[in-house]
Amino acid sequence: MRLEPVGPAISLDDAGVSLGGNAVLRGVSLEVASGEVIGIAGPNGSGKSTLLRLMAALLAPDRGHCTVLGAELGSPRSYEVRSRIGLISHVPAVIGELSLRENLVHAVRLTGADVARVDTALRAVGLEDAGDVRAEHASFGMLRRTEVARLLITRPAILLLDEAFSGLDGDAQELIDALIVRTQDSAGAAVMVSHDTAHVGSRADRILGLRGGRLEALA
Amino acid sequence: MSLWGQAAEIARVDLRIERRVGDVLRIIIPFGVVALLVFPLALGVDLATVAEIGPAVFWALGILFGMQVALRQAASDRPERRDLYALLGVDPAARFVGRTLSGSVLMLGFLFALMIAMTVLYAPDLPEGWPAPMLTAILLAGIGLTELGTLAGEITAGMRNRTALASLIVAPLALPLVIGGSQTLESLTRGAGILPWLLLLVATDLALAVAGVGLARPLEEASR
Amino acid sequence: MNRVRILLSTAALAVAVGVWLAFTSPVDSLQGEYSRIVHLHAPVMWVAFLAFGVTALASVMWLIRRSPRWDRIGEASAETGVIFTAVGLFTGMVWGQAVWGQAWDWGDARLASTAVMFFVYLGYLALRRATPDPESRARRSAILGVVAVVQVPLVYFSVYMFRTLHQTPSIRPDGATMPDEMLVALLVNFAAITYLFVALLAARLEVARAEDEAAVAPGLAGDSVKPPRLSEIEDV
Repeated sequence: MRLEPVGPAISLDDAGVSLGGNAVLRGVSLEVASGEVIGIAGPNGSGKSTLLRLMAALLAPDRGHCTVLGAELGSPRSYEVRSRIGLISHVPAVIGELSLRENLVHAVRLTGADVARVDTALRAVGLEDAGDVRAEHASFGMLRRTEVARLLITRPAILLLDEAFSGLDGDAQELIDALIVRTQDSAGAAVMVSHDTAHVGSRADRILGLRGGRLEALA
Repeated sequence: MSLWGQAAEIARVDLRIERRVGDVLRIIIPFGVVALLVFPLALGVDLATVAEIGPAVFWALGILFGMQVALRQAASDRPERRDLYALLGVDPAARFVGRTLSGSVLMLGFLFALMIAMTVLYAPDLPEGWPAPMLTAILLAGIGLTELGTLAGEITAGMRNRTALASLIVAPLALPLVIGGSQTLESLTRGAGILPWLLLLVATDLALAVAGVGLARPLEEASR
Repeated sequence: MNRVRILLSTAALAVAVGVWLAFTSPVDSLQGEYSRIVHLHAPVMWVAFLAFGVTALASVMWLIRRSPRWDRIGEASAETGVIFTAVGLFTGMVWGQAVWGQAWDWGDARLASTAVMFFVYLGYLALRRATPDPESRARRSAILGVVAVVQVPLVYFSVYMFRTLHQTPSIRPDGATMPDEMLVALLVNFAAITYLFVALLAARLEVARAEDEAAVAPGLAGDSVKPPRLSEIEDV
């Protein structure tokens, strides 16, 4: 079922999340409009990854309200919006025992998309000769490119990037930039988090800071 | 994609991974057969006793070692893969069904191999007409054990000592399966009806299937 | 014709001669035709012990020299030993069923300890399979190969240590307990099956060497990564 966003792509209103008895996010209020790119910078342990997982509808808030693509998080509808969200987290989400191509085919089949797009995507990210390399033997850069290929195929409405540029060469960073641009051009939204403001500075429409689980304005 | 389509795809990939890694074929089956060797050596060498306890030892080891088959997928399940499935829109119920499908194939392979080994090593005096009821009981118990293992894997997802904890959860809950399986052959030997025991197995399997599908979403939320 | 093919061909010939002698030699008066199984069972079990001994020796040599060649020998010998042990167990069970009326006797320490030995080396092969890094695989296998060989003398001497249905060796230092023609056939089969082991080991080593070369040859994994084609992104 396709949900058309009503209002902002992401809306957090005084959201709080606790994990393991510890408050990780406190009173976070934020709106991300369609077509907007937000950068969030903060030191290690500030809650950046938890914030992204909240936006990815992988968590429900303990306090406050959150809506993503019009669906209230924690409601049954939030399960339906997940497939329209793309997340690159700091650990690549691949199945080690499968090859890079098999990982993509598996993901594509689960979404019901056309498997023929896999080879086109591998070519676009420069992995057309590396498709048979097993993920557990692939380099970090190759795994990141595979994730980009997957997101090129699934075309998420919201793109969430957790330290996505860290450890990548120029070519791979260009790919992620292209992914952000494509998402923005199709009226999607992107949120990047990083401990390094240089990664998010030039790419975002606005930058926020996250410290001790609280958002604060920066530049 | 439909729930069944997603489940079939997850099962397909699980079986492909098993073909590459080979945990069940190369490790768990030999481990189970070694356990079959250990019992009589520890008990003594009275052949009559060995033949008599054969089926019971099969069911005990089948359940205990079968847990390793059922839990092996949970043991290798990483948070990134769970997140990936969630963000690909995979219904948690489809993940349960898919894991149960692939796990059942491997479980039945393990149980049949163990049964053959037990028959050769223990030379039990099996009653006439034993294959069909015994194989039916193994099929039903194998499916039930896989469902239990998949459920236990979901309950303990993300926990540090999940494999040991999941085993502890599965073992007592598998009791109806042990009873149903072992009593099927026992009843056949005594000339009594086997239907109640097969129905016990069917009921257990159905209850676990309903629980697994119905609780899939709450379980996924609990693991985050 | 390469060396391995020559070895395999001549081994096949030797085994054929052994089989012919096995079927034309006299039989045991009590066991009848079933006694011919000894010409297969005893040699394959001897070769199984030999194979695991070779694995242990190769393991020690690897620990000293760290040469991949010793690791390959250890693996090839263990694989061959597992196959020969399986054949030995199977022929032993067939023979036991025919002669004792039971395929498996829990009172027979040699049978049970041979079965345990079989699984020890299955575990050795499973360990190798589960270890992708060649250096780590060789080290772990070498250590297990040395520890596992303890099984071999246990199996062999068990026939002296425990009262058992299994017959004591027919060939002893004070002479053999069988007619000369039967003894000749048995000794020829010992030689033929040992030769077969050597040929199979050589063949397996050749395959292992080729596998190792293929694993190193294709160049760096990074060579397969090309620059991205940003202009083709919209085609996806």
